[in-house]
This record gives sequence, C-alpha cells and structure tokens, in this order.
Amino acid sequence: MTAMSDALLEVRGLKVGFPTPEGLVRASDTVDLEIYPRETLGLIGETGSGKTVLGMAILRLLQPNTIIEGEIRYRGRDLLSLPEAEMQRVRGREIGIVLQNSGTSLNPVYTVGTQIAEAVILHQGLSGPDARQRAVELLDAVGIPDPVRMAGEYPHRFSGGMRERALIATALACRPNLLIADEPTKGLDAVTKRGIVDLFSEIDRDHSVLFITHDIETAGDLATRVAVMYAGEIVEIGGAEEVLGDPAHPYTRGLLASLPERGMQPIPGSAPSLITLPSGCRFSPRCGCAVENCSREHPGLVEVGSGHYARCMLYD
Amino acid sequence: MNGIYLLKRLITSFAAFCIAVTIMFALLRLMPGDYITMYLEAIYRYAPPDVVEAFNHVYGLDRPILEQYVIYLLDAFRGNWGYSFIYKVPVLTVIGERLVWTLILLLPATILATLAGIGIGAYSGWRRGSKTDIALLNSMIIIRAIPSYWLALMILIIFAYYLNLFPLGGYVDTGALTTGIDPLDVANHAVLPVLTLFLFSVTGTYYLMRSSMLMTAGEDYITTARAKGLDELMILRKHALKNAMLPMVTLITFECAGMITGSIFVETIFSWPGLGMLTYKALAVRDLPLLQGILLIDTLFVIAANIAADLIYPLVDPRVQVGDDA
Repeated sequence: MTAMSDALLEVRGLKVGFPTPEGLVRASDTVDLEIYPRETLGLIGETGSGKTVLGMAILRLLQPNTIIEGEIRYRGRDLLSLPEAEMQRVRGREIGIVLQNSGTSLNPVYTVGTQIAEAVILHQGLSGPDARQRAVELLDAVGIPDPVRMAGEYPHRFSGGMRERALIATALACRPNLLIADEPTKGLDAVTKRGIVDLFSEIDRDHSVLFITHDIETAGDLATRVAVMYAGEIVEIGGAEEVLGDPAHPYTRGLLASLPERGMQPIPGSAPSLITLPSGCRFSPRCGCAVENCSREHPGLVEVGSGHYARCMLYD
Repeated sequence: MNGIYLLKRLITSFAAFCIAVTIMFALLRLMPGDYITMYLEAIYRYAPPDVVEAFNHVYGLDRPILEQYVIYLLDAFRGNWGYSFIYKVPVLTVIGERLVWTLILLLPATILATLAGIGIGAYSGWRRGSKTDIALLNSMIIIRAIPSYWLALMILIIFAYYLNLFPLGGYVDTGALTTGIDPLDVANHAVLPVLTLFLFSVTGTYYLMRSSMLMTAGEDYITTARAKGLDELMILRKHALKNAMLPMVTLITFECAGMITGSIFVETIFSWPGLGMLTYKALAVRDLPLLQGILLIDTLFVIAANIAADLIYPLVDPRVQVGDDA
C-alpha cells in the first residue's frame, strides 16, 4: 500500500499492547489503513478483534500504561507525538468519537443539552445561550423529538436509541472532519437500529466516518470501503462492494457465510487469545483453506484487486 | 407524592425514636451502681439507707420501673427531660451550655476534615497509582492505624509540653478570671483538640472519597468528556467530582450529626468542657437523667441527619426522586 498524501488520516504500523500479569495483550498489531475525505470506512470484526482499541488509539483515549507504537497521521501531523494540550484541540474539534455503551457514556448529573453545549463552548467559543441553542439544533438534526425540552432533560430520561443520537450530536457538535463511531447500533432493537443507520446515511457529509461494527450488513449499507480485523490485524481491506461482494480472505468469507440469510454457518473454533497468538497466519487454525505453510509463515497484505488487499497465502 | 413520602418518613422516624428511647432507658438501668449510693459512699464511706430512700422517693426512683418508663416517655415528648442529679438544673440547660463548647471544637474540625478528606481523596483517586496517591494513601493508613487516644496524648506531649506552643488543657487561661473570656485565648486552647479531631475524622472521609473517585474515574462518561477535548482538570472538576461526591452525602450528614455527640476522649484528654466530657462525668456518677438527655439529643440528630440525607440526594443526583419506591 502506498502512502497517499490526500488521505485525511493515515495509520502506519500501529501496534497497541496492554501489559497484564499474564503477558502483553497485543490488541492491535501493525495496522495500516487510511481514511479519505468524506468517505465512510467500515471496520468490521468479532468482539475482541481490536476494532475499539484502534478507534480509541486514534484519539489517544486508551489507559496511560498502554504501549503504542507506529504513526497516526492526521492531515500530516502525527497524533501520537502531539503534546497533550494540542491533542485536546484535536479531540472533539478535528475528530469526534461516539463511544461504545451509549447507556453509560453520558454524565448522569448534567442535562444532555449542557453536555453538548460544553464541547461547543470549549472549541467554538460560543456563549452559554448560543451554545445551548446550538445543542438544541444538533438534537433536532439527529432526530430527537421536541429538542428544546429534551435538551433540558437528564440522560436517564432518554431511551437507548435517543442516548445514541445524543452522543452522535455531541460528537458532531464542533463539525469534526472525522467521526469515529464505535458500534453505535450495539444493543439496539431492529427498528431503533435502522433509525441510527438511516441517521448516519442522512447527516450532512462533509466529514469522514470510521464506522466500527461487528454487523456486516450495517457496514455494507453505510461504508464506501471496508476493513476486516482479526486478532488485532487487518486481514482484508478494500471497496465495500469488492470486500463484501467478492471476499478474498477466508475469514471474510466465513463471516459472510455466518449471516442468517446466507445459511448461518458459523466459523469453527474461536478467536485466539491476544497474548499467545498462533504462529504463521493467525486465522490458520480455524481456516478451511489452510495449507501446511499457513501455520509457519505470517502472510502480508497482498493486492488482490484494485485497492483491494487480503492477508492470505492463497494470493502469495 | 412528596408530602405523603415526608409523612411516611416522619412516622418511621418517630417509631425509630421511640425504640431508641426504650432501649436507652433499659440499658441505663442495667448499669450497676446508682448515683446516691455512690455519692454517699464516696463522701461518708457508707450510705445511710434512709437517705438513699428519701432521695429515691424525691426523684421517683422507688416507683415500679414500668411506671418510671411511661412517665419518662410522656415527659420527654412534653419537653421535660428531667433534672440533672449533679447540677440540680434542667437537663436541657446543662446540655445547651456544653453544646456550645463542643461545637467550638467540632465545627471547625468537621468542616476542615470533610473539605480536606474530599479534596485529598478526590485527587488521590483521580491520580490512582501515582507517587502522590501512594504517599497520601500510606499516610492515611498510618494515621488511621494509630490508636486515637495515644495520638491525642502524643500531640499533647509534643506540641504543648516539649514545644510549649499551646496550653496543656482547659479552655481559657486563668487570666479569664479577671479579664473575662477572650475569644483568641479560647482559640489558642482549641488548636490541639481540633487538630486531634481533624486527624481522626479526615481518614474516613479520605478513604470513601478516594474509592468513590476510583469508581468514577473508570466511567464511560469520563472518556466521553476526554473525547470532547476537555483538559484533565476540567474533567476532574466538572465531571468526576460531582459524581464521586454522591456517596459522600450520607457521610457528611452523619458527620454533622456526630458533631453534636462531641468526642468523649478528646474532651477528656484536653479537659475541654463540652458534651463529651459531660457524658463522661455523667456516666461516672450515674447521673441517669443527664445521660438520658444526652443520648436523646444524639438520637434526634442522627434521625434528622437521615432525613436530611434523603432530602439532599434528589438535589444533587437527578436520578434520585424522593418518594419513589426503589
């Protein structure tokens, strides 16, 4: 993959490790990806594949003892080497994030309007009443009914879907160039989920989106490009139609085959521990196409089509 | 809804009060020894039975215990808390005089300990694992582990005896006999007992605040605040502190109730004429009406603190609504 200068965000060789008494958890291992202006990159993978860690690492929101290596270049600046004070100007203003667990991500003792206005006051220097007005507009934009009243309500008065919308409004409050959305449809019922997905396809698209999800269909609906993660690595990346329509990696094929409408055939076995990873290809113990070499050599990403890469021996 | 809740609360509080009064009444009468016998024996080496009988008759102590109980209960509600055996004046008058002196010590000690405990605890919990946190935590453990009476004596010996910075005890200088009570002189006498009380009380507040802050620091909404671009101090002040303070409401209201009780041994060690010393004195000579009065005041304040905590919670935590059957 050649570094493209027109990318909004470039992640280069990102390694994230959490030291634990049992050993180093390699949550993200040599991840390379880029996000271009105004595109939606869908990041899919099972729970524990390192998707959330990647999203949090971009904004440096991981716990202080985390070991992070590599580069995260946003508009040419490496976020990992920015001083904390400058990083604070990136968070919320340049890059917004919608965290997982919308239920607990809003502060219970402040009204939702106050929490949205806080970001606006901080980054755009708006006065209290103006920021308040902006919060109401934002709530209206994300489809909260009766936004004037709801801005004055506390989070516990919001339903799950409404909290998700409120968090999206918070993340978009200062019109960031990149929005990271971490499983925004997790734990929502089908109708509410549809509403959130529709919201993402409707909201004005001046910004790029990193849409993290384990839901392949949602990724297919929203993403222009898709990256598939497995055991901390990106195993396939490319245009959404290519990756989901003609998957190259056996893992991506397995994920698609496990969808209910495609026969619901689960991938045998379970994801490896991120402390003791299998040698060679990390997916090889579960892979139906594995050959002898797979457990010995660690494959790199290979171009299998235009802008479409897969980490598999089959294409070596 | 709120009115009904308050009414229910008052009824249960009333029941709690009655139960406390009954237990108190019974327990005090289970103590061996009685005032008049001990008094006479101390002075004359023996207690003439006719004198004891006359005393008991005057104070109604010769009546059946159940009758005494009913009379006491009814009188307590009427505001007649009886006469102190030692002072021969109404119990409430004695308590009122001593309460002022107790508050001179406990008001500053409690306020300082609460503020310091919350401040230091919040910082410690927020910077969990840092050198400052470890140092603070260990100092608090050491202070907590020292027996409080020994600590009080050490403070007395070091600051009053060796360094001669403060008086050894009492509440005013002998000069007060001619010039009257000087507030500065009282303050000078109050420093060491206040310091001692502060050290006892600050550790508890610190522990609770630290652990509450530890829990809060790991909450998702703290990450949300960070993701908005707030700096650490703003996150601590605006988002973490208010949430971490919620469990402190109960502690603070009970600390306030505890102020009234006074501190028996601090007042005894520093010869401070407050409620604590009064309790000690009344207990030593079995001044039953006075003891009952003091315990009744304590009960009332603890019950009031309970109600206060309930009423304060909805003001600080929007999720709590008084009257909800949770």
